[in-house]
Amino acid sequence: MLNLINTSFDNCIKCTVCTTRCPVAEANPDYPGPKQAGPDGERLRIKNPELYDEALKHCTNCKRCEVACPSGVHVGTVIQLAKAKHGGFKKGPREFMLSHTDLMGSLSSPAAPVVNTVTRLKPVKKLLDKTLGIDERRTLPKYTGQTFRSWFNKQSGTQEQFKRKISFFHGCFTNYNDPTVGKHLVSVLNAMNIGVSLMKKEKCCGVPLIANGFFDKARKNAELNMNQFARSLTETECVIATEPSCTMTLRDEYPEVLDVDNSEVKDRIFFASAFIAREFARGNQPDMKPVKLRVAYHSPCHLIKAGGVIHTMELLNSIPGLEVIMLDQKCCGLSGTYGFKKENYSTSQSIGQGIFDQIEALGVDYVVTDCESCKMQVEMNTGHTVLHPLTLLAQSLT
Amino acid sequence: MKYNSIIIGGGLAGLTSAIRCAEAGLKTALISAGDSALTFASGSIDVLGIRQNNSLVQYPFEEISHLPSGHPYQKLGAGQVKQSLHFFTGQMAKAGIQMSSHGQQNHSRLTALGAIRPTWLSQPGTKALSIAAPAAGLRRVAIINIAGFRDFQPALVAAGMKKHPEFAGVEFTVADINAETVNINARNAYELRSLEMARLLKRDLFSQPKGLTIFASAIQKAAGNADLVVLPSVLAVENGNELISQLEAHTGLHICELATLPPSLPGMRMANALRQRYRELGGLLLEGDEVLSGYFDNNKLNSIKTRLNPSMPLEADHFILATGSFFSRGLDSNQSSLTDKTFNLDVVEAGQREQWSNERFLNGHQHGFSYFGIETNERFNPYQNGKAITNLYCAGGVLGGFNPVAEASAGGVAISTGWFAANQIIAQRSGSSGTAK
Ligand SMILES: Cc1cc2nc3c(=O)[nH]c(=O)nc-3n(C[C@H](O)[C@H](O)[C@H](O)COP(=O)(O)OP(=O)(O)OC[C@H]3O[C@@H](n4cnc5c(N)ncnc54)[C@H](O)[C@@H]3O)c2cc1C
Ligand code: SF4
Ligand code: SF4
Repeated sequence: MLNLINTSFDNCIKCTVCTTRCPVAEANPDYPGPKQAGPDGERLRIKNPELYDEALKHCTNCKRCEVACPSGVHVGTVIQLAKAKHGGFKKGPREFMLSHTDLMGSLSSPAAPVVNTVTRLKPVKKLLDKTLGIDERRTLPKYTGQTFRSWFNKQSGTQEQFKRKISFFHGCFTNYNDPTVGKHLVSVLNAMNIGVSLMKKEKCCGVPLIANGFFDKARKNAELNMNQFARSLTETECVIATEPSCTMTLRDEYPEVLDVDNSEVKDRIFFASAFIAREFARGNQPDMKPVKLRVAYHSPCHLIKAGGVIHTMELLNSIPGLEVIMLDQKCCGLSGTYGFKKENYSTSQSIGQGIFDQIEALGVDYVVTDCESCKMQVEMNTGHTVLHPLTLLAQSLT
Repeated sequence: MKYNSIIIGGGLAGLTSAIRCAEAGLKTALISAGDSALTFASGSIDVLGIRQNNSLVQYPFEEISHLPSGHPYQKLGAGQVKQSLHFFTGQMAKAGIQMSSHGQQNHSRLTALGAIRPTWLSQPGTKALSIAAPAAGLRRVAIINIAGFRDFQPALVAAGMKKHPEFAGVEFTVADINAETVNINARNAYELRSLEMARLLKRDLFSQPKGLTIFASAIQKAAGNADLVVLPSVLAVENGNELISQLEAHTGLHICELATLPPSLPGMRMANALRQRYRELGGLLLEGDEVLSGYFDNNKLNSIKTRLNPSMPLEADHFILATGSFFSRGLDSNQSSLTDKTFNLDVVEAGQREQWSNERFLNGHQHGFSYFGIETNERFNPYQNGKAITNLYCAGGVLGGFNPVAEASAGGVAISTGWFAANQIIAQRSGSSGTAK
């Protein structure tokens, strides 16, 4: 199933630009960096898979190397596929737990108060650290007692009344952990006279599965999602996601990494900010009242890769009274499940340090970012609360 | 979504114009497909260093009036070229790098092949030599490498310098510093590029309390009492210039860093500083997206389409095309013709394929292809099918009519044409009152 004869990595001119931008290679010199792990290594691996290098496990799939490469080489993807092809993933219980976000969510959410209390207890965290290798210094994500879908079901009648409708891919985090962003999306779109509908069924987009080597499961999810999208798009304009990594995966990684054809629907998958910014530009902008705050905006790696930063900035700048300072475009270091693993903890923290320092020095009211994983990392490491851009938009609705 | 100005290409030309626009308060976006030639460049800015007959230029600004009429500098005139470089130096200083020149005069810089090249503006870590007498005051030169680092060959530098008659009487020492001496612990030293060496040095040496003194004494031991110590630029990315001056204070030696094979740390330093400056001014930087085409109407560019957001064209009042030359894929060629890949603009006549280059690549003669590029009017507006596009400007390596390598003018042309394009936009806007929010 994997693309075995793709030699596009040979466009590499060995300039090492990718390595200059790799946050992991900078924080951890044991990682040989994207050039060696990617195109250089691939040449050798094609010849002899035994030359597979253990060090590949350090890559977080942040895609910064791809953004920087002047020759258009898909460096991050080459590395992920090499790991998959040559058995480079460790797929123990920890990996299973961290990556099967929808399964974990559906188990934990009904017992949320208990789960949330338990996962914050020191002895429990110690136990998880010792038995599974989930670093005890990490704050674990909380679960919600009422999933987004169950909240939405009570709304669906109202949503039916709108003439225009979009489909919302809520993702695991909004559904099981914190439905706030989903609720805010609904209120912002409704204020623009657009109704929201959900897919009959949706599965995790696959980001954590890909990152942990569960490619078959990710591919099954992708196929299910694409079927659902096709069905849903007969009645709605497009599919919208609020999580940058989900959007990037649904739109770009399905064909590139999972070999799942999404060409029929690809052009109708949008990052929420992109869709809303386009509506604003066409004149469909709700009345907004000033939000007098000074905020720092952190751009998530996968949003940079997907070309979405411009739309989020456009929206933030359209909120009257809001002062937005763009942070340096550096990785926060968590990368979804990566930073939860004990062996990556110090690398993860040292990657993010630049961002944490900058935030503390700016003296802002809030930090804003589109990504839930970045939010967890920044809240754990700074004294600041992190908001989603849609939350600020929702606040400015009159 | 509408901007006052959109700049395409994040190299020296694009960043200079983006900073100028953002500083003037224009709502500005810069889109760049990948990193630019700065990651390869020496970190000095060449303005104009070599004449057609291969003789060295001492006073670059005076030389401008002798250039052929289609040359970008001729359209700007010496005064504007000077002003633009002044602007650039100021912006670099605000981003923490104090670049220096010798009044109106060029100076010489060393290359990693031991060649002596004329240039006009250098970072402090690049020790400027005299243009007329580069070996003046030098009796002993020590060229030092960190053992195992393969992107720098001290013997090659020495051999190159010795070829220069000026250096005939100079004594050369070639030496290595042992990795163990300075405590660095690499996975495999032979795989290291300059950047990786800098990261290791930071982790294993310079972050230790005695790191600087350990390295200083290793240099002293290797260099003896040389008048000039030449090191590959592998010591640090961000604060490399400061580190060199600290080492000079510790050793009492005169230390010069040379950019190695890519990546070039002095070039990266410059690119980082410019990006940082642009962001501080509130500019929007979009990296990793590529402009695929434009919607033209009535001799104007209305909007552009990008690879990552093809269904959402970006509009602007003005655009600057700074996509670089062949290397950055701004220009493209096939068997018979040359094109601007982005908008298919008219290019400086390329002639027959056989005349594009010399038979021998490095025989010291100029190659035809170096002059290729987009043709523009006096205001640097390009043409499409013979008609000037009035709200689009071209800047830097994508321009035709000059030979960046042979005349040593790449950086100066990029900066001055980028600055000029931004000025044109600012001037037009201050004439009108509309805002584009
Ligand atoms: C090896 C080397 C050494 C050099 N040494 C020196 C030196 O010592 N001194 C000196 O003064 N100059 C030197 N230069 C040149 C100098 O660094 C400048 O980069 C050069 O003048 C060109 O600048 P530029 O901004 O026009 O283009 P580039 O730096 O080439 O940048 C063009 C940018 O445009 C982007 N781009 C291209 N097409 C698109 C598109 N369709 N959409 C979006 N983005 C696009 C590219 O990805 C790239 O980032 C050197 C260059 C090289 C290659
Ligand atoms: S940036 Fe691209 S071309 Fe350069 S070494 Fe990395 S993969 Fe190769
Ligand atoms: S995807 Fe990120 S971590 Fe992996 S090699 Fe590229 S830049 Fe480094």
